[in-house]
Amino acid sequence: MSIKDKVPVTILTGFLGSGKTTLLNRILSEEHGKRIAVIENEYGEVGIDQGLVINADEEVFEMSNGCICCTVRGDLIRVLGNLMKRRDKFDYVLVETTGLADPGPVAQTFFMDEEISSEFTLDGIVTLVDAAHIDQQLGRSDESSEQVAFADVLVLNKTDLVSDDALDTLESRLRDMNRMTRIIRAENAKVPIETVLNLSAFDLDQILKRRPTFLEPEYPFEWTGVYDLDAGKYELMLEEGPDPEMSLVALANQGESEEELKDGAECSVRLYAEKANTLEPGNTIPYGEHINLKLEDKGNKSFILNIEKPTKIGLFTQHTAEEFNMKVIKSDENNEIPFNNERFWQAEHEHDDEVGSIAIERFGDVDPEKLNTWMGRLLSEKGVDIFRTKGFISYSGNPRRIVFQGVHMLFTAQPDKEWGNEPRRNQLVFIGRNLNEKEMQEGFDKCLI
Amino acid sequence: MPDIESFSPRGMFHEGWTAEVSDYAIACGWALKGKQFIVGDVAGGIFAFEGDTGKIIWKKENTHSGGLLAIAIHPEGEIFATSGQDGNVQICNCHEGKVIKTLDLGKGWVEHLKWSNDGLFLAIASSKKVSVFNEIGEEKWISEDHPSTVSAITWSNKNELATACYGRVTFFDIVNNKTNQKLEWQGSLVSMELSPDGDIVACGSQDNSVHFWRRSTGMDAEMTGYPGKPSHLSFDDSGKLLATSGSERITVWSFIGNGPEGTMPGELFHHTEPISSLAFSNKGMLVASGSRDGSVVASFLKNDGNGDPVGAAFAGDLVGAISWRPDDCALAAVNAKGVVNVWEFKVRTNLFSKGFK
Repeated sequence: MSIKDKVPVTILTGFLGSGKTTLLNRILSEEHGKRIAVIENEYGEVGIDQGLVINADEEVFEMSNGCICCTVRGDLIRVLGNLMKRRDKFDYVLVETTGLADPGPVAQTFFMDEEISSEFTLDGIVTLVDAAHIDQQLGRSDESSEQVAFADVLVLNKTDLVSDDALDTLESRLRDMNRMTRIIRAENAKVPIETVLNLSAFDLDQILKRRPTFLEPEYPFEWTGVYDLDAGKYELMLEEGPDPEMSLVALANQGESEEELKDGAECSVRLYAEKANTLEPGNTIPYGEHINLKLEDKGNKSFILNIEKPTKIGLFTQHTAEEFNMKVIKSDENNEIPFNNERFWQAEHEHDDEVGSIAIERFGDVDPEKLNTWMGRLLSEKGVDIFRTKGFISYSGNPRRIVFQGVHMLFTAQPDKEWGNEPRRNQLVFIGRNLNEKEMQEGFDKCLI
Repeated sequence: MPDIESFSPRGMFHEGWTAEVSDYAIACGWALKGKQFIVGDVAGGIFAFEGDTGKIIWKKENTHSGGLLAIAIHPEGEIFATSGQDGNVQICNCHEGKVIKTLDLGKGWVEHLKWSNDGLFLAIASSKKVSVFNEIGEEKWISEDHPSTVSAITWSNKNELATACYGRVTFFDIVNNKTNQKLEWQGSLVSMELSPDGDIVACGSQDNSVHFWRRSTGMDAEMTGYPGKPSHLSFDDSGKLLATSGSERITVWSFIGNGPEGTMPGELFHHTEPISSLAFSNKGMLVASGSRDGSVVASFLKNDGNGDPVGAAFAGDLVGAISWRPDDCALAAVNAKGVVNVWEFKVRTNLFSKGFK
């Protein structure tokens, strides 16, 4: 049976009061042409108004080998085992878990049990978060941070009860914990159905088609200015600022539209992943390179920009221009050229929660054997703490991109589309508890050729 | 059994009859000593056919709202029991299908039903509880909550009931209301069979293994290496062989001598997709298997668990259940499309062997 014939299953998690049942009822009442069977673990106050609803107590079954990835949900196996004999009655399954459910065993059930995996496919994990209370919940319970960590989609619900500033802070906290999730803000669980159903979140092929990168944007730079410059020599002048150095990428032919800015940002993110070349004041800034401006000296520091023919230059800087009072000055005329357009970016910052995401992005090829050894050891040592893994890798000698994903120690890798002219690169995201970013990056770097 | 070696059957499936029920057929069995064949479909339809001809005797639909889960036919008498997602058990008359008594077990699914061998008791598993009723539907015993939903029940003797759930098998003396024995194992037990003498307890486990215990010695063993979970188990009537599912092959453990510990199981490669039903003949060493690929095969086994096919047929779709007629001269298979197939099963032998005509 191909994946097309399998019945997709969406798992709905979230703490009691986060609005799961409201969202469920919203999905069921919408005209989407699907016949949905619901498996409900939580007997909430709000009833569910639809035919095929099955209540089942959650039963977590650990195996004698003690392996966490073999832990499955017995209740789902029983109920789905029966439902698969009624396939003419429904074409979609929604599983609503209790607020305290660990999403790991729920997800693993769809990989570990052959009878279930032959008939059903896990479409995605949707976690509802009560914007007003999640901050406390995350501090108090492991379950809520695990539900955030496992989510393919996070619905930040009840946004009407919280200020915009608080929402931004919360969103960035959640983003730190799970960088591959999509965050949707909602009042009263009002979200477009297509953002929670039919995600094919476990079908990497599909995801990569829609989103060429797993990572939701979070940039290593805070600011971009676009300058319209005629041919000639210019100086980039900076005063003293908060840091003795600053990273920068300068791009020629930078457009000003939002789309062009994002393209430039995407390109700069890749360049930022490479080691920076240090420039002393007075040096010339190269284009399309990650550089690090030395700013230790007192007073104004100037770096040279050479323009051969008229173009728009994009400067993607680690800090905002304002922080260093950064200016572009035409050398012979000594007059300041203002930017045509500027854009601020969501910058990376320190991670406070135990649960977090680690992203590794590197250009080049990896040695498949070294990678297997490294991943094998990583997952066997840290598999309990690594909730989800997604990514794509470039194997040396293989014309295709290798995509992979995992839940705890369960791990699959498969060849995807051909690289073609695209630069060979690797992108891995690990979501887990107390992961050591530096160690993991170093481990991965050793697999590079 | 030295005579078994000289026994060389050339049996086969002969055309019998076919019929249809309304939905995915999940349970079936022979009633009235083989004169009647009863089939239940997942939607709650129940159908009774003449055993010889397949002519419909009666049918009824929507017997359990939400769907049917189990059927148990009384071993001697003229009644059978059904259960479903509605939490009810119905005790019915075979001749007309009329409900004699409805038992309300509560909200949970009633997934398992078993009559004791003498037919005096009906054991019923509903969620975490197991209860025992007599033939006229009076409750005689009820268990405490098990640690998880009960996954299998079977009678070890006329007063003793075995239950399996996550982590353990328990033996209850239901007349004196006491627990006779607890066998513990950290794993989700998904199926259970007892050897005919009641000594060997075999359970399929979610972790793709078969775990078994010998009650007399307390020894236990684990047979691993299955690609899938062994949901279907069957002992032959002498208790020598245990056939197990868990993949597209039938794995047969032999309890002769010191086995099966340390021995290689017999393996029968007849099907292309995983086994979906398994049943030894009532007498003798014939095992019938049905698969998700729709094939049905009968195999004659040797003492070491290996053996040869003696007949095969195509049932059309995933085989939901199979059942030997009490005289072993017919085999029935019901499938996921609701098709019922009954084949005459004839074995010609030079020697008389018990169990076969």
